[in-house]
Amino acid sequence: MSFQLNSIRSAILFALGFYGAMVSPTSCSADWPMFRGPNAGSVSLEAKLPTTFGGEQKQNIAWRTELPGRSVGGVIVVGDQAITTSSSGMDQRRLHLVSLNTKDGSVRWEQQLVARGRPFCHPTSANAAPTPASDGKHVFAFYSSNDIACVDMEGNLVWYRSLSSDFPKAGNDVGMSSSPVVVDGVCVVQIECQGDSFAAGLNAADGKILWKLDRPKQANWSSPTIVKMLNGEQVVVMQSSEDLLAVSPRTGKLLWEMKQKCSTIPSTIAAEGRLFVPSNGLTAFDLSSVGSSPSKLWDNNKLSANACSPLIVGKRVYTISRTVLASGDLFSGEFKWQARLPDAKSIWSSPVVAGNNLYVFGDDGRCFVVELGDEEGKVVATNELGEAVLGSPAIAGNAMYVRGVSSVWKIAEK
Amino acid sequence: MLSIATFSSCYLGVGAENANAQSSREAIQLLQTLTVGDQSTLAATKAIKQLGNAKDITLIQTLSAMKGATPLGRNWLLGLANSLYRSSGAAQSADLTKFLADQTQDGEARYLVFQWLTVKNAGLRKELLSKMNQDSSPELRFLAIDEAVKEKLDVKQLTPLLEAARHPSQVISIIEKLKELGETIDQSKQLGFITEWNLIGPFDHTGSANFDKAYPVETDVANGMLKQEYQGKSEIVKWKKESTTAPDGMVDLAKIFNKEKGCIIYAVNEFESDKDQDAEVRLGCINGNKIWVNGKLVMTNEVYHTGSQIDQYSEPIRLKAGKNQILLKICQNEQTEQWAQDYQFQLRICDSTGKAILTKGR
Repeated sequence: MSFQLNSIRSAILFALGFYGAMVSPTSCSADWPMFRGPNAGSVSLEAKLPTTFGGEQKQNIAWRTELPGRSVGGVIVVGDQAITTSSSGMDQRRLHLVSLNTKDGSVRWEQQLVARGRPFCHPTSANAAPTPASDGKHVFAFYSSNDIACVDMEGNLVWYRSLSSDFPKAGNDVGMSSSPVVVDGVCVVQIECQGDSFAAGLNAADGKILWKLDRPKQANWSSPTIVKMLNGEQVVVMQSSEDLLAVSPRTGKLLWEMKQKCSTIPSTIAAEGRLFVPSNGLTAFDLSSVGSSPSKLWDNNKLSANACSPLIVGKRVYTISRTVLASGDLFSGEFKWQARLPDAKSIWSSPVVAGNNLYVFGDDGRCFVVELGDEEGKVVATNELGEAVLGSPAIAGNAMYVRGVSSVWKIAEK
Repeated sequence: MLSIATFSSCYLGVGAENANAQSSREAIQLLQTLTVGDQSTLAATKAIKQLGNAKDITLIQTLSAMKGATPLGRNWLLGLANSLYRSSGAAQSADLTKFLADQTQDGEARYLVFQWLTVKNAGLRKELLSKMNQDSSPELRFLAIDEAVKEKLDVKQLTPLLEAARHPSQVISIIEKLKELGETIDQSKQLGFITEWNLIGPFDHTGSANFDKAYPVETDVANGMLKQEYQGKSEIVKWKKESTTAPDGMVDLAKIFNKEKGCIIYAVNEFESDKDQDAEVRLGCINGNKIWVNGKLVMTNEVYHTGSQIDQYSEPIRLKAGKNQILLKICQNEQTEQWAQDYQFQLRICDSTGKAILTKGR
């Protein structure tokens, strides 16, 4: 790794507060409006969550609500609504969008449509794989079949599109799972496959396709990431097995692009003026040059992520490779420590952090709670929900909302 | 009924300022006829906003409008129906029950109504489903059979369920249950898989470059002039007859053609229909593929190794009485991963509900 000079420069800038204007993923928000929460950070430092929950005693389970069909996406929280999608029925063609009251888990409203695109997927996945997104006024529900619906906060349909009807060869029979983001009044979707492969910006108000960008004809399950630049401009970063690029969300204008072999499952994260991309393990890029391609700062293959997206807390970046959690220095890329998650089998759900504890679910429904230290990560609890979890949890207030394949759980100190 | 052109012009921008003045009936009609594209989406967005505020459109009218609507239009109407149900639906259970019982209504609308009526009434759900094994709605029929096979049934009870079932997963499940009871059913025949094929190849597909290259087989079959042999990838190749006994109708090209990679195989079957009829060709194939029926290209999928299942691809076709020529082009790429070695297909002919149509004499 040749990161020494860059790391010194970054450390100085950090100390001077140069990046203070940058959006920090560690900020706390009442809402968790899309995949990985505010700024795709997956972190709520102020949240106080129980470290032990579930089990036969249903400890610290505020409520659990069963929903029709199945889902491998996550849940979002907007105000007092926990919102999620599921797919049910023959070939999982029925598409559900359900809002639950955060207080008691009761169903507040439900919308239901029928998939017009290809609903097929691997048996472990679901048509309801992407996590919905919200701008606080609308909810955007996107499915593997490339059906997308926008509803208001009371569940009334505002607009709907079958992007597989617009672009008939869009789809992947293993299942798509890229989650949409909404920024500057635009809902951005990334639909990358061997057929009609593209990213698009849809006008949040009416569903009009504002722009469409051709993408490599290869399967890609990663999600677009909103990044706020130093000049305040918000851009959308996308990755694939061939490239890394940024576009302006309103126009789709390509701001920069580079050839880069990125992972096609975990997504990118930005913090402290840097972009952290699952690529060659993990690769950090300097974002301080507005309008030009970011320069590489470091990469480290000891910080690789196979399925879960990386996250950042303070000066550390955390990744999960299969069942091993790793910690590295944000500025230098130096590997710090790793912790094996005991008897974990398969992990698809991206982790979240509350306070100083990292929570990560295995697909068998066991949640590992890891206390994050400078020198080590200590597994302080393993909790059983008894239901498969493949989507990433949401944190709002002092509660964690978990989307199991067939229900939503609220976990909070009782 | 107003012409589509009259109301569409208002919603599509001409006189858009007057859109609010359009009647709810016209807005519903726009949703019913909705097609793809930005302009249609924008028009529908205006229409549903208007309908959300309208006082003169009922839930039953909205559900009834789904009959004959386009697939996109039905989803917009479903969305509207969900909102109307939240505001007034509970008070209309008698009308909804009547709507559900009317099998001439749209199946997707009736399925939604079924869920509303039964979500908190397990007894009613069971009672209704017990009478829906032959329902005109594929979704309700699927649900009914799913519910029925949960019970311990004998051969006499399972046999009519097998005839009623349309989804391959249910057909297979019932056949397995019958087998446990000593009753053997030819699964391949029950599902209508074509088992006899004439195959020729391999033709060159190095670098996945020839998906759209029309080898002479394609042009000759269109002219009804298929030859006995052709220049293949590395030598002259001849037709060979192959049949499959696999219950899922799978034809294993990797096995037949010695795991050849970067190649194309053509497969031909002469399907004999006893009458002129509409049908569907349904393919499961993890490789790139094209299908021609009677010389007409009906399916093309340039996709490799991203999952496969029975009925993965489906297209409507028209069968003529007598012999119908079905030509497949199956393309294998050169991926080296262990999971990318399959080279196979399974094909069946069905009616639009999924009921098998067999070649004459089978």
